Amino acid sequence: MFLEIKDLCVDLGQFKLENINLSIEKGEYLILIGPTGSGKSVLLETIIGFYKENSGEILLNGEKINNILPENRHIGIVYQDHVLFPNMNVYENIIYGLKRNKELSEQEMDEKVKEIAKILEIDHILTRDVTTLSGGESQRTALARSLIVEPDLVLMDEPFSALDVSTQNKLISIIKKIGKEKNTTFLHVTHNFNDIWNLADKVGVMKNGSLHQIGSVFNVFSKPANDFVADFVGIQNVFEGKIKKNNQNHLVNVNINDNITLVSSDVEVCSHLEDYTNVLVTIRPENIIFSNESMNSSAKNILKGTVIDVTYSGPIMGITVDVDGIVFKGLLTRSSFQSLDIQVDKDIYIIIKSLNVHIMDRYSSFKLEKS
Amino acid sequence: MRSKFEWLFIIITSVITILFFIVIGNMFLIPTYEGFIKALFSQQMIFAIGLTLSTSVVSAILVILCCIPMAYTLSRYEFRLKWLFKIILDLPMAFPEIVIGIALLMFLGNYGISRWLGFFGVNLVFNSAAIVIAQFFVALPYAIKMLYSTFNYVDSRYEFVSRSLGYSESDTFFNVTLPLAKQGLFATSIITLARCIGTFAAVLFVGGGILMKTETLSIAMYLNLSTGDIDMAITAGILLVIISFVTIAVMEKYVKEQYV
Ligand SMILES: Nc1ncnc2c1ncn2[C@@H]1O[C@H](COP(=O)(O)OP(=O)(O)OP(=O)(O)O)[C@@H](O)[C@H]1O
Ligand SMILES: [Mg+2]
Repeated sequence: MFLEIKDLCVDLGQFKLENINLSIEKGEYLILIGPTGSGKSVLLETIIGFYKENSGEILLNGEKINNILPENRHIGIVYQDHVLFPNMNVYENIIYGLKRNKELSEQEMDEKVKEIAKILEIDHILTRDVTTLSGGESQRTALARSLIVEPDLVLMDEPFSALDVSTQNKLISIIKKIGKEKNTTFLHVTHNFNDIWNLADKVGVMKNGSLHQIGSVFNVFSKPANDFVADFVGIQNVFEGKIKKNNQNHLVNVNINDNITLVSSDVEVCSHLEDYTNVLVTIRPENIIFSNESMNSSAKNILKGTVIDVTYSGPIMGITVDVDGIVFKGLLTRSSFQSLDIQVDKDIYIIIKSLNVHIMDRYSSFKLEKS
Repeated sequence: MRSKFEWLFIIITSVITILFFIVIGNMFLIPTYEGFIKALFSQQMIFAIGLTLSTSVVSAILVILCCIPMAYTLSRYEFRLKWLFKIILDLPMAFPEIVIGIALLMFLGNYGISRWLGFFGVNLVFNSAAIVIAQFFVALPYAIKMLYSTFNYVDSRYEFVSRSLGYSESDTFFNVTLPLAKQGLFATSIITLARCIGTFAAVLFVGGGILMKTETLSIAMYLNLSTGDIDMAITAGILLVIISFVTIAVMEKYVKEQYV
C-alpha cells in the first residue's frame, strides 16, 4: 500500500474525524465524496500535516508520517480557490517549490517551469500578476505549482468546482495524462460525480466525520454499504464490461456478461483502448425506457428482463429489472407506470440509446495492469 | 434623489466633522506669524523636535520587532492561559496612560528595580531611555492589536501550501506570511510611530519632564503652557497636528482600507 490510514481520529472540539481507515496504491486515484461539513477537507489537511491526529496512523510508502513535519512529507495540495501567493507572479508561484531544491541550476528550474506550463497551457501567462487571472488560469497555475515538485501524493480539495464545464473537462484530461505519465497518486475531494466517472479508481463516501464506504467505483455505486451511501450516490446503473470496437458504424460494443452486450457511442473515450479492455459503463436511470413490446426503434439496446422490485417516491416510481443476472434501475412517472401495467415478476423490455451508455476508461487501464 | 435618512446622516457627519476642523484649525490662528517662526526656531523647540523624533523612531522599531512574534503567536498558536495573555496585553488600552506612567515609574524607580539597575550603573528614569520605555509600553498594545488582526486576515492555507512545497515554518513566515501582511505591518508601523510621538502622560512621569533634557513636543507644550508662553505651547501643538496629519495621509494613500 502506498498511502495507508489506520484508525485515524482527529478531535477539533466541535468536530471529530472518527476511525478513518483507507488505503491507496501507488498511481491510484481516490475520490472522496460526502455532504458538506462531513470532514473531507479536515481529512486532507490532517494527511498533509496541519491538524494533529489524536490517535491512529498515517503511513506513506510504508513509513509512519504522523510525526514528520508537513514540509518533509512530499505531499502536495491544491485548493478550490487556488490559494496562489499574491505577492508573486505566475512564474514565481510555479517555481516556488523548486527553489528549495539546491541541486537544480537556475536553468534547469526554468526549463521545468516551462515544461509544466506548456502541459497545463499557461506558458503564455507566466509573467502575469496572479490577481488578474481567470478561474481556470489560476487553477492551472495552482496545479503547476504543486505538481512541479513531483510530490508522492497530491491532495485536491474540490479543484474544479469553481470552473466552467469545458475547462473542467480540459483539466480532467490533463490530470489524467500527468497521472499516467508520472504514476502520481491522487486523493481528490469533489461534489461532482463527473469527476468520479472520469478520474476515479476508488471512491470513498464520508459523513459526519466517518468514512462510510470505500471501494472501487463499481462497488460503491452498485453495492452501497448502507442506506446513507445508497441515498447519497443515488440510483446509478454501473457495470463492468469489456469493449469491442466497431469501426464501421462508429459504435463500441461492451460485453457486460456472456449474454448482454451494450452498444455505446462513446467512441472517443475508447479511441486509445485496445479491444477487450475492461471498462466501466454507466447509464442514468432516467435514460432507461420501458416497454411491453420489443419495439422497432432507432435505439441500439433493447433488452428483455424481469421486474424484480418497484419503489415509490412521490410521483416517481423506481423500477428494478433483472436481465440475465444484471440489474438495471430505471425511473417512471406514476401514470406511465400504470399504463404499462408494471408488476413484480412480469417480463418487460428496457430500451437504451447508445448515446446514453457512457464508458469510463480510466478505471479499466488500472484494473487491467494490476489483475 | 437622496432619502431623508441619507440627508440626516450626512448632515450629522458634516456638522461634527466641521466642528473638529474648527477646533483644530482655530489653534493655527492663535500665534502671530512672527511668534510662530520665533518659537519654531527656538533652541528649546528644535531640541524637542529632535528628541521626539529620535526617541519615537527607536521605540517604534522596538515595538514592531516585539509585536511581530507576539501578534503572530496570538493569532496562530493555541496554548494555556492565552486568554489571560490577551487581556493583560489589552489592559493598557483601557486605562488612562497616566496609570502606565506611574506604574513604570514605580517599577523602574526607587520602589522597584532601580537599586539593581544602579548596581550595573544603569538608570532608566528621567532620561531618554526612560522616554523610550514609556513610549514602548504605551504603543505596544495598539500595535499588537492591529497586527493581530492583520495576521488573522492572512489565510493560513497560504502557509499550508508553502510548507507542503517543502519550506520550513520560519522560511514560510518570511517568504509568505510577512509579505502578505505587508500592508498591515506598514499601517501598524505608521500608527505606532504616531502613537510614540504623541505619548504624553507616561513620558511625563517616567521621563520627568525636564526642560531641555527629557522635553518632547508634548512635554514642551505642557511646560510652556504652565509658564504662560502661549506661542511656544501652541507651536508645539501645531507641530504635533502636522505630524499626525502627515502620518495619517501617508497611511490613507498606501494602505487599503481592509487592513486598517
Ligand atoms: N480548525 C477547525 N476547528 C474546529 N472545527 C473545524 C475546523 N476546521 C473545520 N472544522 C469543522 O469541521 C467540520 C468539517 O469541515 P470540513 O471543511 O472538513 O467539511 P467538508 O467535508 O470539507 O465540507 P465541504 O464539502 O463543505 O467542503 C465542519 O463542521 C467545520 O466547521
Ligand atoms: Mg471542504
